[in-house]
Amino acid sequence: MEKKYNNFFQQCLYKLNSIEKFFSVIAFSLLVMIIFSDVLSRELTGAGLYWATQTGVWANVLIVMAGFGLASSDGAHLRPRFADSWLPDKWSSSLETLEHSFMSLFCAAAFWLAINVVLETRRLGEVSIDLFLPIWPIQLFLPIALAIAAFRHAIFAYIPSLRPKVNNLNSQPDRNVFQ
Amino acid sequence: MTFAFPLFLALALLLMRQNLFVILASVTTYCYLTLASEPLQGIVLDSWSALNKEILLSIPLYILAGNIMSRGAIASRLIRFMRAITDPIPGGLAIAAVLSCAVFSAVTGSGTVALVAIGAVMYPALIKSGYSKSFSIGTLCAAGTLGVIIPPSIPLILYGVMTRTNIAELFIAGIGPGLLLTGLMVIYAISSNLNLRLSPWSAKEILVSFLEGIWALLMPLIILGGIYSGWFTPTESAAVAVIYAFIVETIIYRELKLTDLMDVIVKTSRLLGSLFPVLIIAFSLNMFLTYQQVPEALVDWMGQFISTPNAMLLITNILLIVIGCLMDIGSAILILAPILQPIAASHNIDAIHFGVIMVVNLEIGYLTPPLGLNLIVAMGVFREQFWDICRAVIPFVSLMLLGLAVITFYPPLSGLFLER
Repeated sequence: MEKKYNNFFQQCLYKLNSIEKFFSVIAFSLLVMIIFSDVLSRELTGAGLYWATQTGVWANVLIVMAGFGLASSDGAHLRPRFADSWLPDKWSSSLETLEHSFMSLFCAAAFWLAINVVLETRRLGEVSIDLFLPIWPIQLFLPIALAIAAFRHAIFAYIPSLRPKVNNLNSQPDRNVFQ
Repeated sequence: MTFAFPLFLALALLLMRQNLFVILASVTTYCYLTLASEPLQGIVLDSWSALNKEILLSIPLYILAGNIMSRGAIASRLIRFMRAITDPIPGGLAIAAVLSCAVFSAVTGSGTVALVAIGAVMYPALIKSGYSKSFSIGTLCAAGTLGVIIPPSIPLILYGVMTRTNIAELFIAGIGPGLLLTGLMVIYAISSNLNLRLSPWSAKEILVSFLEGIWALLMPLIILGGIYSGWFTPTESAAVAVIYAFIVETIIYRELKLTDLMDVIVKTSRLLGSLFPVLIIAFSLNMFLTYQQVPEALVDWMGQFISTPNAMLLITNILLIVIGCLMDIGSAILILAPILQPIAASHNIDAIHFGVIMVVNLEIGYLTPPLGLNLIVAMGVFREQFWDICRAVIPFVSLMLLGLAVITFYPPLSGLFLER
């Protein structure tokens, strides 16, 4: 029975991961093409695309939210590690459970705040100045990403075998973003 | 108690192995609840307004361009060209390693990738040519940090975003210090290896290797030339860099397949997914603190202890070197730049000069234990003990400290290429 549950949650995580990868590729391609088209248009016709910047920013929101899930999935979030050795090694397993449980609760609380903000934006009818389109559908990606993260970390907390495999050395090169 | 509690909270979360994003968000939540009694929705709204900024678009685009370029065989092409031009100089191979790392990290925007890509090829070659193991490791680790200051530099963009400083000017200000640090390492390579055998120059090899590597060598020129001439904004130059990298790798070098490109995009998104949440929460905390006039209060308080700009710079350098030992450069900039920059400004220290000082300081953190990123990566690349690598980088850390002193107390170096 337990194995059946594990397989089910493993499949869920796999599908979520695939969806996040799909969205990140689409949004990134869109972002590059929009900004490059803006430059081309300005150089060729003398006028840029007025909608390019705001659309690019929204594509970036989608990339970041999909990336947030991908980072959770691979255990690639930025984490200061200098205090890791302050507690005994034998507590590691419990600390990992605590880490994912807290993260799950935190994301659930953040989801609640974010969904209220989105509902408020929708109620007020806020629109983008450049695009004249409502903002709330794009804002909605925030609570969606947080809800998925809460779900994912809850699974990691209670099914240790599904946790991302992370070790200090392997996780470091991901931080090359800062160089 | 008001200020002690957030510190205890952060410490407790650190021990619970929480992500930086959670730690910062928890501290921000505490500040909202206790210092201002503001509704917590304000954090989400501030975060949204941070995420909804055009200026941030350059970050994903530069990282993507760098990841595309580092996927192919650019490293070997650059190494071949650098070896061809430095062969007849004493310490030529070491100079080639330094220059390859500098150019590679300028092209890809990543010094760690430079250390892995260049180090894997150059380390055996350096040992075979008679360079000592310690010198070879130290050279590659130190040269691998040059990408931190050589534009396009993500830490400089983060500093610009957090302190509202012009990113194009920060890029241009990074060129002088980048050249200085590269020059210091080249001089050290020559002076340490005067006794090694030299090879003659080969005009044919120089020409052939130049033609083979020209597309990679052009990338920094296009980015910086475009910004410097006013053709592109930093965001636009980043988009051009992505398209250029894509064309070079798929059509000219034919080393990138569509499936590879998907992998690169997913990897880049994952990096952004770990960086941006920290960035937007730091931005939100910064907006809150500014609204509460905390930076002004801090400036007044620090004014009691620091009376001159030089004292301010000295204390900043010491603080950042210590912080660089414990934190990664991005997190340190996101947290400290909005706090330190107003204090520096109150002592009439230029925001651009201060940004360059901050980034060079934290660059040294890549070579300092216990968490120096290049030291950790070098363990995997060179298969050596951690403390052997730490010993190997000592001369280079000293050189970089010398460079830092010059950069700090000689501001015209940062303004060398700035039109002001």
